[in-house]
Amino acid sequence: MKRISIDPITRLEGHGRIDIFLDDQGDVANCYLQIPELRGFEKFCVGRPVEEMPNLTQRICGVCPEAHHIAATKALDNVFHVDPPPAAKKLRELLYSIFVATDHTTHFYALGGPDFVVGPDAPAAERNIIGVIQKVGMDIAGRVLKMRRDGHKLIKMMAGRAIHPNWGLPGGVSCGLNEEKRAEIEKLGRDAVEFAKFSLQLFNDVVLGNSTYVDLIKHDMYAHQTYNMGTVDENNHVNFYDGKIRVVGPDGKERFKYDGKDYQEYVAERVEPWSYLKFPYLKQVGWKGLVDGIDSGVYRATPLSRLNAADGMATPLAQQEYQRFYETLGGKPVQPTLATHWARLIEVLYVTENWVRLATDPEITSSEYRVLPTETPTEGVGCVEAPRGTLTHHYVTDERGLVTKANLIVGTTNNNAPICMSVKKAAQGLIKKGEVNEGLLNMVEMAFRAYDPCFGCAAHTLPGQMPLEVRLRDPQGNLVQRLTQYVD
Amino acid sequence: MTGAGCDPNAAPPAEQPPAALRRAAVGKTLVIGLGNPLIADDSVGLRVVEQLKSRLADYSGVDVTEDYWGGLRLMERMIGYSRAIVVDAICTGTAPPGTIHHLAADSLATQRSASAHDVNLPTALAFGRHAGAELPADQDVHLVGIEAQDVINFSEQCTPAVTEAIPRAVEEVVRLLDALLERSGR
Repeated sequence: MKRISIDPITRLEGHGRIDIFLDDQGDVANCYLQIPELRGFEKFCVGRPVEEMPNLTQRICGVCPEAHHIAATKALDNVFHVDPPPAAKKLRELLYSIFVATDHTTHFYALGGPDFVVGPDAPAAERNIIGVIQKVGMDIAGRVLKMRRDGHKLIKMMAGRAIHPNWGLPGGVSCGLNEEKRAEIEKLGRDAVEFAKFSLQLFNDVVLGNSTYVDLIKHDMYAHQTYNMGTVDENNHVNFYDGKIRVVGPDGKERFKYDGKDYQEYVAERVEPWSYLKFPYLKQVGWKGLVDGIDSGVYRATPLSRLNAADGMATPLAQQEYQRFYETLGGKPVQPTLATHWARLIEVLYVTENWVRLATDPEITSSEYRVLPTETPTEGVGCVEAPRGTLTHHYVTDERGLVTKANLIVGTTNNNAPICMSVKKAAQGLIKKGEVNEGLLNMVEMAFRAYDPCFGCAAHTLPGQMPLEVRLRDPQGNLVQRLTQYVD
Repeated sequence: MTGAGCDPNAAPPAEQPPAALRRAAVGKTLVIGLGNPLIADDSVGLRVVEQLKSRLADYSGVDVTEDYWGGLRLMERMIGYSRAIVVDAICTGTAPPGTIHHLAADSLATQRSASAHDVNLPTALAFGRHAGAELPADQDVHLVGIEAQDVINFSEQCTPAVTEAIPRAVEEVVRLLDALLERSGR
């Protein structure tokens, strides 16, 4: 097969592009996913006061600003060598739990839900949130909006603004809670737990009660044998705010467990000439290419990965669901990508239970929510579990606290390699002897949706209608067929 | 790509309708700029509404604001309004940077009117109506898209062609708003 050089700089036009190279038999030999990413962030940050980073980084992406805000705030704690008081950590974790609950719920009903509740074979026009409420019942719409309204209201109450908190400081947060606010948070948290239970019941009734859907979840086309990464507490339970980063192998066994500040000893980034995307991989396992297996350093960091990387959930109802999940899908680790949607709902239940737990903690209304830094700033790392995966912020400053270097590994970036592998696997399943199955674009999109990626260009795309161009090339590299959706 | 381009050599802005007409419009109007203040031309929607805040200060029943994401979030911002004008960057690739497009709500998405993580605008509006929210009809939601050159690089400045388009976009929004208010006041 002829080696073709792909120059991403001249080819990318703001949408996703997949180049598929066929072998002499017309089957898929290789598959290259290219998506433009936002550029120049580090250069943009250099010279700025590091205290600006919680507000700057949360502007990178409008979907998970709270994740960046909290990760950046934790990085500031370490840059300034200060340990926040317990009440500050609890307040941060409370806000974070509210955020994840809202974000995950939106994702399920708007993106994951349509694939299952309406069905992957339904017409595209019905495979959306309207299709879900028509199938399940109109009152769902009100409940989803209430969840979002409550979440945004509480985040604004705690952190000054509904979407972009103005709250995190090195050593703590800028304001705490009084009893009136605490009671409101508790009340809405209990409502959120009920909705989380409802959502899981819905999934159970509509998806797990349908053998076709269960087969789809378990389908090999979307399964990978990769390492899985997530943050765990001292009991190896899933934790979104803090803990150690744990990586388990395709065999389910713990391979690494480390503090976020040591991430560079465990995660390296691979640059491939054909893509703007960087491909993080496990340094001590090594880069073997976009391949599965225990000898490949490819790892995933998703809701599914978090459940795989942990030994359980820290709250009782979520723990029951965690056990049922693994009993249903044949034990740990669960590797089929579409199971991520179910894992996401189990996480919603956990964070809503955690929301109530923290809202009823006696220390949550403490007035000791900040200590002032006194040391000279140097360097620090802050990690949280963004809804889409482990998020790492790393800053280096001069002695005045001005940024000299900034590195971020965002949730989606962890998954660049497995997303490419999922696309290739879907293509291999649907292109045989040069014949392309009509469902190719939709099946590729289903893989994307499970990861809920935050690619820069995806900011303006329509879900279920992601602009995609697929180009099939023969072994000599000649273009033989072009498939597009929502691309001129 | 649908929508009318804006003639850069257009005549000076028309006179505003009398204040009495503006006050008579039925229902409230939302003028909302979308964007990311850190990404070059992706900030243009925010810059346009920044100028509109003073231009529209004496319009009663008109709220001028900004936000940073589309989908369900944008729909939620429209609750309680009878009409909405959304100002945002757009990448059609069919017109020079700085061209101003006037689009219907169900046409090609601007940079932020849709969201890859939830739903497009018409779907979000339909969803909100199902939930019982008071929302503008689809035909009463207007998108003013400014053709962007750079929505990839971090920068606190727009590119020159898009910067030049900002005052024209301001006038276009005012013109559009006056026409909508006059139509609704009859």
